[in-house]
Amino acid sequence: MNIDIRHIAKLARLRIEDDQFEKFEKEMQNIVDMVENLPDIDEELALDENDPMTLREDCAVTDKYTRQELMANAPQVKAGCLVVPKTVE
Amino acid sequence: MVKGYEVVIGLETHAELNTESKIYCDCKNQFGLEVNSQVCPVCMGMPGALPTLNEKVVDYAIKMGHALNCKINRVCKQDRKNYFYPDLPKAYQISQAEVPLCENGYVDILVDGEERRIGVTRIHIEEDAGKLLHSDKFDGCSLVDLNRCGVPLIEIVSEPDMRSSAEAKAYLETLKSILQYLGICDCKMEQGSIRCDVNVSVHKPGEPLGTRSEMKNVNSFSAAVRGIDYEVNRQIEILENGGRVEQETRRWDDVKGESVSMRSKEDAQDYRYFPEPDLLTIVVDEERVNALKNEIPELPNTKLLRYVRKFGLSQKEATFIAESAELAALFDGCMAKGKYPAKAYATWLLGDFIKYLNDTGKSVSDTCLDADNLTELVGLIEKGTISNAGGKKIFAVIIEKKEDVAALVDKLGLAQVSDSSALEAIADEVLAANEKSVSDYKNGKTNALGYLVGQCMKASKGKANPGMMKEIILKKLG
Amino acid sequence: MELYGKNAAELSAMLKNREISSVELTESVFRRIDETEEKINAYVTLDRENALKSAAEIDARRAAGEELSPLAGIVMGIKDNISTKGLATTCASKMLADYKPPFNATVMDKLAAAGVVVAGKLNMDEFAMGSSTETSYFKPTKNPYDTDRIPGGSSGGSAAAVAAGEAVLALGSDTGGSIRQPAAYCGVVGLKPTYGAVSRFGLVAFASSLDQIGPIGKTVEDVAMLQTAICGHDRMDATSARREYPDYFRGLENNAQGLKIGIPKEYFGDGIDGEVKQKIMDAVKLLEKNGASVKEISLPSADYALSSYYIISSAEASSNLARYDGVRYGYRAENYDGLIDMYEKTRSEGFGDEVKRRIMLGTFVLSSGFFDAYYKKAKLLQRRISAEFSDAFGEVDVIATPTVPTTAFRIGENTDDPLKMYATDICTVTVNIAGLPALSVPCGCDSKGLPVGLQLIGGKFTEQRLLNAAYTYEHLRGGFPAAVI
Repeated sequence: MNIDIRHIAKLARLRIEDDQFEKFEKEMQNIVDMVENLPDIDEELALDENDPMTLREDCAVTDKYTRQELMANAPQVKAGCLVVPKTVE
Repeated sequence: MVKGYEVVIGLETHAELNTESKIYCDCKNQFGLEVNSQVCPVCMGMPGALPTLNEKVVDYAIKMGHALNCKINRVCKQDRKNYFYPDLPKAYQISQAEVPLCENGYVDILVDGEERRIGVTRIHIEEDAGKLLHSDKFDGCSLVDLNRCGVPLIEIVSEPDMRSSAEAKAYLETLKSILQYLGICDCKMEQGSIRCDVNVSVHKPGEPLGTRSEMKNVNSFSAAVRGIDYEVNRQIEILENGGRVEQETRRWDDVKGESVSMRSKEDAQDYRYFPEPDLLTIVVDEERVNALKNEIPELPNTKLLRYVRKFGLSQKEATFIAESAELAALFDGCMAKGKYPAKAYATWLLGDFIKYLNDTGKSVSDTCLDADNLTELVGLIEKGTISNAGGKKIFAVIIEKKEDVAALVDKLGLAQVSDSSALEAIADEVLAANEKSVSDYKNGKTNALGYLVGQCMKASKGKANPGMMKEIILKKLG
Repeated sequence: MELYGKNAAELSAMLKNREISSVELTESVFRRIDETEEKINAYVTLDRENALKSAAEIDARRAAGEELSPLAGIVMGIKDNISTKGLATTCASKMLADYKPPFNATVMDKLAAAGVVVAGKLNMDEFAMGSSTETSYFKPTKNPYDTDRIPGGSSGGSAAAVAAGEAVLALGSDTGGSIRQPAAYCGVVGLKPTYGAVSRFGLVAFASSLDQIGPIGKTVEDVAMLQTAICGHDRMDATSARREYPDYFRGLENNAQGLKIGIPKEYFGDGIDGEVKQKIMDAVKLLEKNGASVKEISLPSADYALSSYYIISSAEASSNLARYDGVRYGYRAENYDGLIDMYEKTRSEGFGDEVKRRIMLGTFVLSSGFFDAYYKKAKLLQRRISAEFSDAFGEVDVIATPTVPTTAFRIGENTDDPLKMYATDICTVTVNIAGLPALSVPCGCDSKGLPVGLQLIGGKFTEQRLLNAAYTYEHLRGGFPAAVI
């Protein structure tokens, strides 16, 4: 299976520099070749009814954190908001 | 049909559920609070934070599923929809892909008096994204407010069963009234609590379906109508000019009244859906599914059809009553007495009552009106005991106070004189005193009749039954 | 013996009897860190001041007669992918080099309640992706038994710190062997608990359906003590199992009688080093001589485990690591032109090569047209592998295998060949794929003096039986030579 490294990188929002590209492509190809040898299994992935999830009760908790605490790690903050390059709307 | 083309419309409607907390964390689910004040590590997508599913969200979605006659998948899962955008903190939205909570339903709607059945493909649960704020003052930047992240949504996907923008509007209005009846969505359009994406295509009758375009950013029902009409015309124009409609996603600009292309099929996003590994299988007990079904009241669209078919109300009257659960309950209470025609009640409910509610800002339950006193009032008028005008006086009292209706007739002196001998005596007196009018009438001036009846009413101090009075005068005039 | 060289069970008793104070122990550990850390590189962040402060608090509480947990006053290191409120949690990545979580992982709250003293945050492979701790953005950690060699990974800092005496106990995380493999290489004991036994809340996710936090210690007793403190249901983690857990430390039994050991032939093939194979068989024979029965079993789908593991773990990782976009926390590229450019530069500069490879692989296997051929097949094989284990546990109590096919390799030896690096996980990944508990216990050294690890695998939630088997073996084996640095 040949993989389109540039397309995958675009989906993953990664950029592979030109001088790295060949090496990266070869490594990726080797990895994909390794994982490709899986046998066909003619079954469907059924949902596991025996391992059900416990749901959370609908209760709101306020004032657990301050905005300042939660935004302390943000690279750029303005007027209580996170800042990003202008998005086209 | 528009200009010889058949129009095919499908809608994807998102409704925000009015739960106490968000779908995957215990942050408050509330609109309009200070930016980034209703967030926590979970809805901010902090490293290591994990989602936990709110049980109310599952319940509400199942209720909507029942309301739209869906099959409920009591065993289902959640999936991740992966894409990058600043309003999506985890860079994936937790949604449902393969197995939605509800599927294969339908909803009956009424369009111009015609009943239509619209298929519902699926209803699934998912989380809302945050909001981006734009301004020229932001120096080429956008600001991100994450308060809305994790607000619970249900996405209701219709079959491509609608054939006009009017049908789409009726469908959306029906969904809205059902959501309101179930009490699971605030339905505040201006706050974006219901939003929809519209899929539109056109084709010549007998030909295969046309290529569809998807339109995003439709934020009101009237915008949906405008957007659909615009898109239909745009596609027809392309086809008429020998062109081909592209499969693409377009963005509706309601201010400019036009849609613009967002992306074509070629750069369609690859969302790389896969099962959400942080959450296990959702398993809802059979009993729970049934219990939720039993909680569903008769829905407004069903009521509407019943009012039109069984009670003979007009679509407008029926819609008005059916859309308000409280009003409908009052109306149904009255009809259950089986005494008087629906129209007689509808006249009061859609007239003086609505005016009163609008003027005072009260709700139905804030008033003292109930099926008993309203039926009594309608009965008095139907039997001719009091006049319509007298009825209005009583209505004004019983809407605010629990007073005995019969006693009010006496207290306000509203009893009509319906005794024919008494009325005849008045008629004789009035005719004798107005010889000129009598001769005018006989010479063909028919409006003299009104004057004579008016004089009789005056002589009776307004208590004469006007219908009977008129009959007697006519008889006496020959 | 210096305090730092003792094990937690001993120290717990000494603290309880007030033979020593927690401050003395903490000072001893930090003295050791001062001596050896330059050579070992186990820690990313040291938190000496707070450690001494909490040690003093514990001492005061003990002096006041308060009844404290067995771990109170014990000095620990925490793998740097476990969220510690206000203390940098970097995942050994440039991406999170300055990130300080505003909340504690559930395990950290539990350890705080137990009165544990946290010395600092331990080095690891970047985002736990790697088998040697060489993918750390900051520095490679060295093996205390031979500082030219890797300590294993991804919890290399955790295993090395315990082996070097730079921490009495440590927390690691294990997605495909990341606790057991470094424990084997560094001559310490590491337990990967049953999936769902320990809350993942606050563990920075690599592969959500496989990740588990677990204990590393010098002895089985130490590991049992720490596991007792960290396991339990957590309503913040939907995948956390709702059940009661025993006190594993009190439950320890030294008894091989009746223990049924399975030897899966697929785990003793050509890829396994001869010396390693010999040590494992010696360990099994020792148990057999003392009352255990040994049976050869077969786990035929084991061959597909490594592929399934890399598909599932990379798929989940590609999604889990998408949140590092330079918006809410973490690294953001300095110069960029618009949103997409900011995303791409931030992520390309912030992640190392191994992380990028896994993200790319995961993105590929989930991408349109390939999902069925990779992800879906891997999930189906996962079920088959689990079923084979279930069948096996109908016949035996524990399964014994090597933890790793070889002993620790040299730094740089495998860095140019991802596949060779991935192959070191071959014996451990099946356990994660099947969600089972497993541990690695040292079972001797090879001719180079490098430790060999015996892996014991149990059925779901049979940690006690697993720990008992290892505890029994440990007694039969006798003392294990400490690393000389």
